[in-house]
Amino acid sequence: MNIILETRGVSKFYGAFCALDNVSIAIRNDERTAIVGPNGAGKTTLVNLLTGLHLPSKGAVYFKGEDILGANPINLAERGLARAFQLVHIFPKLTVGETIAAAIVTRQRKRWNLFSSLARDSAVARRIEEIAKIFALESRINTESQLLSQGEKKLLDVASAFALDPEVILLDEPTSGISTSEKHRIMKTLIAAAERANVKAMILVEHDMDLVATYSDRIIALAEGKVLADLPPKEFFADPKVIETVVGKLRAV
Amino acid sequence: MSAFANILLGGVFHAAVLFLVAAGLQLVFGVQKILNLACGSFYALGAYFGITFTSFAAKYGMPVWMLLPALVFAGVILGAIGPVIERLLRTVYDRDESFQLLLTFSLLLMFQDILRFIWGANPRSIDLNYLVYGKVVFSDFSVPVYNLLVIAAAIIIAAGLGLFLQRTNYGRVLRATAENRSMAEALGVDVRGVYATVFTVGTMLGTVAGALVVPTAAASLDIAVELVVEAFAVVVIGGLGSMPGALAGAVVVGLIHALSIAIYPELELLATYLIVIGVLLLRPAGLFGRPVT
Amino acid sequence: MSSRAAVLLAIFGVLALAVVPWLAPPFYASLLISFFAYAIALLGFNLLFGYGGLLSFGHAMFLGFGAYGTAIVSGVLGIKSFEVALIAVVIGAAIAAAPIGWLCVRYTGIFFGMLTLAFGMLFHSFLFKFYYVTGGDSGMRIPRMNILGLELAQYNKISFLAGPFYYYCLALLVIAGLIMWRIVHSPFGLHLRALRDNPRKAEYLGVRVREFRLVAFVISSVFAAAGGAILGLRIGLADPELVYWTHSGQLVFMTVLGGFTNFFGPILGALAFTLLQDQLQSLTQYWRFVLGAILALLVIGFPTGIAGLIRNYNWRRVAAT
Repeated sequence: MNIILETRGVSKFYGAFCALDNVSIAIRNDERTAIVGPNGAGKTTLVNLLTGLHLPSKGAVYFKGEDILGANPINLAERGLARAFQLVHIFPKLTVGETIAAAIVTRQRKRWNLFSSLARDSAVARRIEEIAKIFALESRINTESQLLSQGEKKLLDVASAFALDPEVILLDEPTSGISTSEKHRIMKTLIAAAERANVKAMILVEHDMDLVATYSDRIIALAEGKVLADLPPKEFFADPKVIETVVGKLRAV
Repeated sequence: MSAFANILLGGVFHAAVLFLVAAGLQLVFGVQKILNLACGSFYALGAYFGITFTSFAAKYGMPVWMLLPALVFAGVILGAIGPVIERLLRTVYDRDESFQLLLTFSLLLMFQDILRFIWGANPRSIDLNYLVYGKVVFSDFSVPVYNLLVIAAAIIIAAGLGLFLQRTNYGRVLRATAENRSMAEALGVDVRGVYATVFTVGTMLGTVAGALVVPTAAASLDIAVELVVEAFAVVVIGGLGSMPGALAGAVVVGLIHALSIAIYPELELLATYLIVIGVLLLRPAGLFGRPVT
Repeated sequence: MSSRAAVLLAIFGVLALAVVPWLAPPFYASLLISFFAYAIALLGFNLLFGYGGLLSFGHAMFLGFGAYGTAIVSGVLGIKSFEVALIAVVIGAAIAAAPIGWLCVRYTGIFFGMLTLAFGMLFHSFLFKFYYVTGGDSGMRIPRMNILGLELAQYNKISFLAGPFYYYCLALLVIAGLIMWRIVHSPFGLHLRALRDNPRKAEYLGVRVREFRLVAFVISSVFAAAGGAILGLRIGLADPELVYWTHSGQLVFMTVLGGFTNFFGPILGALAFTLLQDQLQSLTQYWRFVLGAILALLVIGFPTGIAGLIRNYNWRRVAAT
């Protein structure tokens, strides 16, 4: 098991406010890691630092052993780090197929092709079909994204991130906005997709502790900008102090 | 030295007129987020109407010394077209800013021919002599008192606008709506009414500026289109949506105008545009605008 | 629009245009040279606007590049070959567009519009500043040139425009259309549309947002320059009015008129505007008012333009009757 993404002593200050305080975490290959914690604990900040959206005030972030300080999202996407957002992001006028294709084009290094026909590219077309099938969107391949239902948009957002064939994928509350009865199905879909897409490591930012308990191999809990716990689920849920801080606070929310 | 002072005063006069137009633009952009390309048309309308109105009034016995107030009056009553235009713009408030820009551009086109229709294709000058206010004579140059009065008027209007926006309740309402429209609406502000008022005031500032300028320059069809270019430079340099910016930008552009007349007239637009580009690249918020992401 | 429908439409269009010199008086054929020029320029413009989401209010600057470049090649350097002029202005425009575009694409929306307007007016003032080269207000003459190496002296100006040059320009339009079709339907084209729709998400999918905007800018300027060269040759003059900001506004008008959400929209817009302006000018001296009113109507009621109207027209009802 190798470390594929890690932060070393990362801190982030917004003026006088300390959002993250000396956080060191290591995400490993072949592991599904959940990042949990109450609102304001620093989850979003940490995730933004991991995916190059912001720079840490102190410390460093390493991806596959390389320092990715200052790497922008485009860079990281090329290197194999993908992210899907909590708020659904789509391309309104592009179809489902085209959205997925955008990621595939990056992956297959065809971005700079100005004169080749995308429609006739069978390598791309096949991959679009594959990804769409994994996410049960194959019937909607030619539908404009803005016409999809909220749930379908969410799936598309995640599907396009998977289409990058990333080595690490970061899913920011992937089941938010989805009805409780559907959550497990979606999680199972995501995990199956990850497996078929050869995604080595998955990071989940989640509030739903039930999902976290069932589907993660490791749980990292943040509270007030610090790492509170970094344990496999069995030990995590056995620690009363951790439960009180994370779950207890969550219940109050 | 005195030649320099003469040119400087010319620049300040130019700045005063530009400030009025820019203030109108900034008010509308600040509150409604619309960049009104038709501001040039309002300026030209004010100019032409100023000429017509004062000639008409003089024929019916208006004394010549009432020239300045008459021009201001002409500009103000022309502002009545403001609500009408605003009604038209209302149809695109919720649309992409490109469409709003295009609509104001279409107004500019339409007004060009409206002006041509009413006043013909030839330039018009005012026949009342603005030197009725006399001149201030320096050692080797003189400045018409009229010009100084216009500069004073612009300063008074600037101060008035500033006080209005900062100290009055309605001014606060305007600033709130500019800051956050939906919030203002939620707090019970009649946003529609605010928009109509703001646009009318903005229009009036433009028409008054045009009216005030005609004693010193002819009214022609070109001034509408040319003014847009200069006014746009003013608001970029000063910062979009900012009133102090309108003042600062106007002073800068006015000074460039003055300096280039002195040194090399062809340089005027070139210098203005180099500065505009410089501002947009180095500090897109302009001198007083809000920082741009 | 499906490829097949597009091909049919294009063939129909080309055939219809091809018979114009046979059916209509030479005046109309020479009028349509303007259409060809604008159509090519707008194909490029819409790459930036419709497909890239950037509204440039200074694009006439590159039209001017094309015209003035042609004037320099033929008038100053004495080269008679139009192909040389085309290549020269295309390369020249690309070289100029690269730094200008690099500066401008750091912004979007209204700031992009303002920067491009400023650059356009800067170029306009250059034309006056260097009047000893550019002729200032009077512009620069563009004498008759050779196409494909042929002097065609037996044709006078109007029969040249209505005859050989007409088909030459039609061919150029077809070539330009084919090139733009490929670009728009390429992986690059997809990434361009993605960054238009959601630049943030596009970055996360590896779309090179700023670089691709620059590429679109340069390509659009190249097409505009080609159009400017044709326009210049037709008028016989490179004129500073070509570069004034209101001419840039006219380009936007034509694109919106035709419909910027459709590939053929700009071509339709160029055609509609050219014919409309000509008809209106003969009907009334207040044609600017009518055009302004049409633009207002478009913006308020028909933002998808002519192409949008055609597409939304209830074809099924027509087929059922």
